Parts: sequence; structure tokens; C-alpha cells
Amino acid sequence: MFLFQAATPDINLTLIAPELIVGIAGVAVMMVDAFAPRGQHWLTGSLSIISLIAAAAASIWLWTAWPAQRSAFNGMIVLDELRLSFTLIFLIVALLTVLISSVWIESEKLPAGEFHSLLLFATCGMMLMASAGDLVIVFLGLEILSIATYVLAGFRRTDVRSNESSLKYFILGSFASAFLLYGIALIYGATATPSLPGTTNIATIAARLNSSLYPPLLLAGAAMLLVGFGFKIATAPFHVWTPDVYEGAPTPVTAFMAAGPKAAGFASFLRVFIFGFPIATTVVSTGGYAHKAWLGALAVMAVLTMCVGNITAIVQNNVKRMLAYSSIAHAGYALVGFVAAGAAATPEDRSAALSAVAFYLLTYAIMNMGAFAVVTLIARRGDQQTNVDDYNGIGFASPVLAFSLSIFLLSLLGMPLTAGFMGKLVVFSAALKQGYVWLVVIGVLNAAISAYYYLRLIIVMFFRERTGTWDVPRVPASLALALIITLVGVFYLGLFPGRVINAFQARPTISLQMR
Amino acid sequence: MQNHLLTILVLLPVIGAATAIVYSFTPGAKESHHRWIALGFTTLAFLVSLLLIRGSGTAVNAFRFEESYPWIASIGARYHVGVDGISLWLVLLTTLLMPISVLSSWTAITKRQPTYYALMLLLESAMIGVFVSLDLLLFYLFFEASLVPMFFLIGIWGGERRIYASVKFFIYTAVGSLLMLVGIIALYFIHQQATGVGTFDYAVLMQTLRTNVTAISPRAEFWLFLAFAFAFCVKVPLWPLHTWLPDAHTEAPTAGSVILAGVLLKMGTYGLLRFNFGLFPNASRYFAPLMITLAVIGIIYGALVAMVQPDVKRLVAYSSVSHMGFVVLGLFSFTEQGMQGALYQMLNHGVSTGALFLFVGMIYERRHTRMISDFGGLARPMPWFSAFFVIASLSSIGLPFLNGFVGEFLIMLGSWTSFAVQHSWIVTMLAGTGVIWAAVYMLWMLQRVVFGTTTSEANAKLPDLNAREVGLVLPLLALMLFMGVYPSTFLNRSRASVEAARRIVVNPSGGPTINVATKLDQSDGR
Repeated sequence: MFLFQAATPDINLTLIAPELIVGIAGVAVMMVDAFAPRGQHWLTGSLSIISLIAAAAASIWLWTAWPAQRSAFNGMIVLDELRLSFTLIFLIVALLTVLISSVWIESEKLPAGEFHSLLLFATCGMMLMASAGDLVIVFLGLEILSIATYVLAGFRRTDVRSNESSLKYFILGSFASAFLLYGIALIYGATATPSLPGTTNIATIAARLNSSLYPPLLLAGAAMLLVGFGFKIATAPFHVWTPDVYEGAPTPVTAFMAAGPKAAGFASFLRVFIFGFPIATTVVSTGGYAHKAWLGALAVMAVLTMCVGNITAIVQNNVKRMLAYSSIAHAGYALVGFVAAGAAATPEDRSAALSAVAFYLLTYAIMNMGAFAVVTLIARRGDQQTNVDDYNGIGFASPVLAFSLSIFLLSLLGMPLTAGFMGKLVVFSAALKQGYVWLVVIGVLNAAISAYYYLRLIIVMFFRERTGTWDVPRVPASLALALIITLVGVFYLGLFPGRVINAFQARPTISLQMR
Repeated sequence: MQNHLLTILVLLPVIGAATAIVYSFTPGAKESHHRWIALGFTTLAFLVSLLLIRGSGTAVNAFRFEESYPWIASIGARYHVGVDGISLWLVLLTTLLMPISVLSSWTAITKRQPTYYALMLLLESAMIGVFVSLDLLLFYLFFEASLVPMFFLIGIWGGERRIYASVKFFIYTAVGSLLMLVGIIALYFIHQQATGVGTFDYAVLMQTLRTNVTAISPRAEFWLFLAFAFAFCVKVPLWPLHTWLPDAHTEAPTAGSVILAGVLLKMGTYGLLRFNFGLFPNASRYFAPLMITLAVIGIIYGALVAMVQPDVKRLVAYSSVSHMGFVVLGLFSFTEQGMQGALYQMLNHGVSTGALFLFVGMIYERRHTRMISDFGGLARPMPWFSAFFVIASLSSIGLPFLNGFVGEFLIMLGSWTSFAVQHSWIVTMLAGTGVIWAAVYMLWMLQRVVFGTTTSEANAKLPDLNAREVGLVLPLLALMLFMGVYPSTFLNRSRASVEAARRIVVNPSGGPTINVATKLDQSDGR
């Protein structure tokens, strides 16, 4: 009887409702596609959109209803603001990807159902990564996400660049996954105590840090995890795959990869390192060493990532490549907030820094999706026109597209009134609060460097005259909707970010008890 | 209405821009109609801004027309606006120069008019916003936002080297202001540490820093002063950070140059006066000798370089470096005359240099050249133009009875009696040579452009000013004369605010004055 009770699985489907909705929708889309007439894309597209909105509603419900139980499946799934804020980012990214991709699917005559179901599976994986309370779930989510993304990157089968992108992503991605898995194994071994076997539960790891049997093994495991996550979020020096993969992948997929999986990587990365290797009360302890080591490594990585991303972006002549390097740089800015969250001594500061990172990634996702929406449209069939020269003088030929792109670029640059500014403001504030003045100064100088290449595209579009002819692309309704959502998002988050930032912050325990 | 005057003033041009954009999409819209929309909204904004003068004559320094609402509650940012005797005049300068700039673009801008006038209107909003913001984050927002429309104005409607000039302008200013952003955030946390509440509100910050002496360490004050001053000095521009200015001024379209010289440069000096003096008084005193030295170098360097320019517009641009040096000199003299003179000189420079750029634009529109050597003897074919141009030049030199004289005289009076720097008479004498140099380069330029014999066939048949052109320069000429003979209209209204700013610097904590300040108080003869 006792044994039976102990083995009772701690199942709580409410807590994984958003993941369930998206996962089931992915299967349903696949089934519908099998029986639907060929060449459809509205059917599966709208099905995906409905399921994404339903998942968003479910997570907002979790947010407001706030079930008493904060974890399920024996701590494998957790419920907190970090998870919910990231879940919303993923859902927005997926929704925008569906909207942006419709024009591309149509013009390239691609199987829409497969694309949509892969996208939903990838989204499900990302959501699992954010909700994971256990390294195993992190890995599970990561693999669901990665395998779907590998296929998406190579979705244009007849294009060599797309194939190269997919293969490169697959080989290097698997390598990074191996690092991650090895790290998990080492941590499991290191956290074993004489009486208990090792653990992969993040909260238990934190509790057992100082009683670790093999401290060097623990540090090695943490280092492996750092490399694995560093690859997934494309931080220097683990960023080398990014430009090739982003350039070769179909533009809507690139947009998705730069915003979604990167944010997912951050969600798990934050969870594992902030909660798994937290700030230690005694600096001279295994936990203290682990915390100090990863914090230092991360600060260095942040500087490298920002500098490498921005400086290399300057010399790019391909817009997708330029945006790829810019996405590396933005991972660097987000890392500044990560460092702040790691260094925060009080739960309030930590929650403020965590919400800053989440808010930053939300703003980045929105402005990046917006920029890629325009790039997709301008690139035309087969991603032909993605060079900076292709943008020569188009500013007044299609002013709506060009001004929208300019607004997104200015937002990426961090000009006030736009979301990008507020994102940078909260991240840099969090870091300054922890006394990282040097890191913030390097950050703002990098923002100044980035002005050069963001402005370059604006200059090309508006300040130069077009020599050849330019037929204005037709803006389909779905893409127009995506542009409206992103533009409104950019200005809303840029002018009135208060509500969102508040919602992303962890509620103090006192107010929770009062509910 | 009365209570929301400033918000209306900030939003009015934005509404105008939106109107212009919406109108451009309506069927049957004509490009040339947009200038009427722009003229209408800028004139309306000017008329509304005149209401700000009401009740400004009080001897007490206070912010009027204040509005304060929570903006981003989670980080304590507020929408807090207000005007005092200092910002009042700068807002009026902005709203006055805008309709004039729009009028000056009437025939000069022929391509892409909807975008042009929409950007001009957005720029006006940002500039007014800068001068009325009393929340540091809000101020930064407007300060940076003014960059983007100007970047487009130079880049799309500028001269041959417009791309180079616009990028240089953007990046110089952006680097400066980004460091200021770090400073602003740092100040937020300093306040949070001292009082437990983080805020960007200027008045609250100033109050805390004044009453709580330990709130900010001298080292922090030193660095924060530098962070703010760097942003403002790039904007002023103070030598040696001035190199973006000649390019931007020369390549910008006429209206762009007028606004750049007339208003954007004042954001720098205004920032120094409002934020550096108000928030970091001790560091301001500490840095005064350095700032004064740079200002004097700028005065002489700007004048000397202006002298050898072959291009009239570039000459006027370099004269700006010289004139803005005077403003900085006056500010850092920490005397009432000097600081009042500095504020007055900000307005003078806006009026005179704005007018000079307008005149340069007029002959450029006729001849499509700005080279001094291409002109000569314009007085014969264009008598009205020549008369007005000479008046504006004389005002820029600082001839008595014209506005420039009052400002420069007050500044030198102030800097002579200043104790902010040792041997201040040497500084004053050196700065005084700047006036002489100004006479040299301006008169020499006038001699070669306006007087003499008409050398070229093309110049002989140039048409004189038309009604629109006379109309747009007359208000400026009238102001030059009025400001030259009756400065008290302006000085009386700014006195209380300038004096309050000065008192903060010389006597930061309100307690017993320190050594320098005592001398200052004796010296200004009150």
C-alpha cells in the first residue's frame, strides 16, 4: 500500500494546459492536412492561430486564477511568472510567424500543413523549456524544439542554401545538445549524497550544492550546461553557426528562430542558473564557487557577444545576415540583465531583473518579427532580394513598408518612444542596480555602434535614389495584420510598458497569501 | 485648457503631422497642400505658446503650467512638464522659428513634401518637449526623439554630402546622449538609496540632493556631471566636440539649418543650465575652469576658422561655434549678469543665426551656389535683400542697438567679475577678441558678397526678395531691434529663474556659503 502511494504520479493537467493545447493542435493540424485538399493553407493556418490564441488564453487564465499548486509532476513542471511571461512571448512569436509565412507558403507552393504542425511542435517544445522544473524536461523541450526547427530551416528543399542551413544547424545543434546532456549527467552524478541518488530537479540541485560529493564534477557539469545554452541562444564565442543558418533558412523561419528559440534558450538558461546555482550565503563553498564562476563567465560572454555581434554586423551586405548578427548582439544585451539577475541578493531585485530580461526578449521578439515581415515581403520568391543594394531608394516607392521597417530598425537601435528603448532601459537599470557600471557603459557604447548598421539600411532606402525599376510588392492581408500587431506593439511597449513589466514581475508572497 | 497648455503645445504638431500623413493618402491630395497644413499648425502652436507669457513677470522662481501624472508607475517615471523663466523663452523661440522655417521651405522643397512637413512637425513636438520636461526620462525621450526627424531632414533633402553629414550628426549625438542615459539611471538609484524611492522627477531629485548632502558622493557627482555634460557639450557644440556641426549645418536644407542653429544647439546649453547646475552644483563649480577654457578656445577657434571659409553657409556654421562658446562662458561665470546674458545670447543666436541661414538659403535658391567668390555686388540687383542681410550680420557681430550686443556685453560683464576662474579678466579679454574677429569675418564676407561691383552676369539679374521672403524675415529683424533696445521684457521674466539656478550652484545646500560663493555674492553688487 505504501509503495503504491509513493508511486502515484503527481499529475496535474491544468498546469500544462497551454502546452497540451498547442501539442494536440499540432497533431490535429497534421491530421487535417492529410485529408484536406492539396494546396490549402488557410485551413491549417487558421487552426494554428486558433490553438495559439487558446493556449494564450489558458496561460493568462493560469496567471490570473493562480492555482494554489505551483508545481506538478513531482516538481518537473513549475508555475511562476518567469514561465508565464516566456510562454506568452513564444505564443506571440508563433502567431506572428504563421501570419508572416502565409505569403511565402503561397508563393513557393510549399506544403502548409506540415509547416504549421512543425511550428506548433516547436512552440510546444519552447513552452516546455520555460515550464521545466527539471533538467530532463529542459532537455525534452529542447529536443522537441530543435528537431522541428532543423526541418523548418531546410523547408525549401530545392534550395541549396536552405539545405546547407538545415544541415549546419542540425550538426552543430546536436553537438550542443550533447554538451547539454553531458552536463546534466555530470550534475546528476555530482549531486548524489551518501544516502540519496543524484538529482536533476533544479530546486533540489540548489539545495544540495554545498553537500555535493564531487565539487569539481559539479563545476564541470555547470560549464557544460553553459556551453550548451550558450550555443542555443547564440552568444559569442558559441555564435558562429548563427549567420549561415539565419541567412540560408527561409525568411519567416529565420524570423522565428531569432525570436522564439532564442527566448526559449534564455528561459531555461535563466531557470537553471539563477535557481539551480543561486547566490550562496557563504562565498567559500561549492555553491559560492559555482555562482561566482558562472556569473563571471556570463559577464565576459555578454561583453563578447555585444561587441562581436555589433562590430561584425557593420560589414554585412546581406540584410538577413546583418539581422542575424544583430540578433547575436541583442542576446548580449539580454545577458546583461541575466548577469544582474544572477548578482541580485534580494528576491525583489532578482525578480525585477528576471522580468527585465523577459521584457527585453518580448520587445526584441516583436520588433524583430516586424522587421522580418518587411524583409520577407521585399525578398520575394526564393529569397532573391536580400542584399542591402536591393533596398536602394525603395523608401518612397513603398513608403508604408519602408517607414515600418525604419521604425523597427530604430527600435532595434533603442531609440526612445519605441519598445527597444524601454527594453534596454529596464535591462541596463537592473545591471546598474547591481553595480555593473562598466557592463552598462559597454552596453550603451555598443548601442551607439549598432546605430551605424541600422541606419545604413534606412539611408539606403531613403537617402539614395533607385537606379533600376522597382515593382511595389503587394501587401497581403495576413502580413498587413502582422505589421499592424508589431507596430502597435512597438509603440505600446515603448510608451506604456508599465502594465507588462508589472505583470512579468513575481508577486510578493504576502499578496499571494492574501488572495 | 489653461492647465493643459503645455501638453496641447507638445501634441499640436504631432496632430499636424498625423493630419498631413492622413491627408497625403486621401484621393485628390496635392503635394503642395501640405505646406499649408504645416504652416497652419506651426502658427497655431506659436499663438498658443504666446499664452505662456501671461503671468510670467513674477519675481519668484516657480514652474508654471505644471502637469504631473504617473507615466510608468513600476519604475517611477512621471509625465511632468512645466515652464519657468528659462524654458519659457526657449519654447517661444522654437514656436516662432517653426512657421518661419515652414515658410522658408515654401518653394525650396519640391520633392516628397508630405514627409518633409510631417517630419518638421514631429521635430517641433520633440523640441518643445525637451524644454518643458521636468522628468529626466521624459526629457531624455524628447532629447533623443529630436534626432530622428533631423536625421531624415538632412539625409533626404540635404546637399551633396548629406549622407555623411546626417550619419555623423546622428552618431555624435547618440553617443553623447547614451552616456547621459546611464547617468540618468544612476541618479535614479542614488535617489533610491538615499530615500528608498526611485524617481526621475527633476524637482524631487534636486530637492533630495540639496537637503541630503550625503545622498551623492563627490566621486559619483564628478562622473555624473561628466556623463550629462558630455551629451550637452556635443549638442552645444563645445570645442573640441564641434566637428559634426559644420557638416550638418552646411548639408541641411535651409529650414533644417535654421532649426539646428536656432533650437537644437540650445538644447545643449539649456541642459547644462537646468540639469548640470541644478543636480551637480559642486561638480559644476569644480569643472567651471575647464568649461570656461574650452568655451574661450571655441570662441576664438570658431571665429578664426569662420574667417577662412569660402562657403557662406559654412562660415555661418563656424560662427555658431564661436557664439555658443559665449553662451557657455556666460553660464559658467556663475554671476547673474553672465547667466542672464547667456540665456539672452541663446535667444539672440537663434534669431540672428536663424536669419543668416535664411538669407543664405535665399541666395542659394536663386544661384545654386553658396561660394563667396561667386557673388559680389548683390546690393545693386537685390537692395532689400542686402539691407536685411547686413542688419542680420551686424546683429550677429554684436553692434549696439541690436540684440547681439546686449547678450555679449552681459556675458563679458559677468565673466569679468566672475570668481569661478582665476584671473577672470584674462578670460574675458580673450573672449572679447571673439567679438572683434566676428566683425572681421562678417564684414569681410559682406564686402565680398553684398558690396563692390557686380562681377558676374548671373548676379546682375537676380530678382530681389518677394513678399513671402520679406514676410518671413521681418519678424526676426524686428526682434533683433527690439531685443537690442529693450531687453528688460525678456530679462525681467527670466531673472528669478536664472537667479535661482545660480544660487543652487554657488550655494548648493542652502547652508553657509563656501569660499567661492561668498566672493561671488559680494562681487555681483547686490
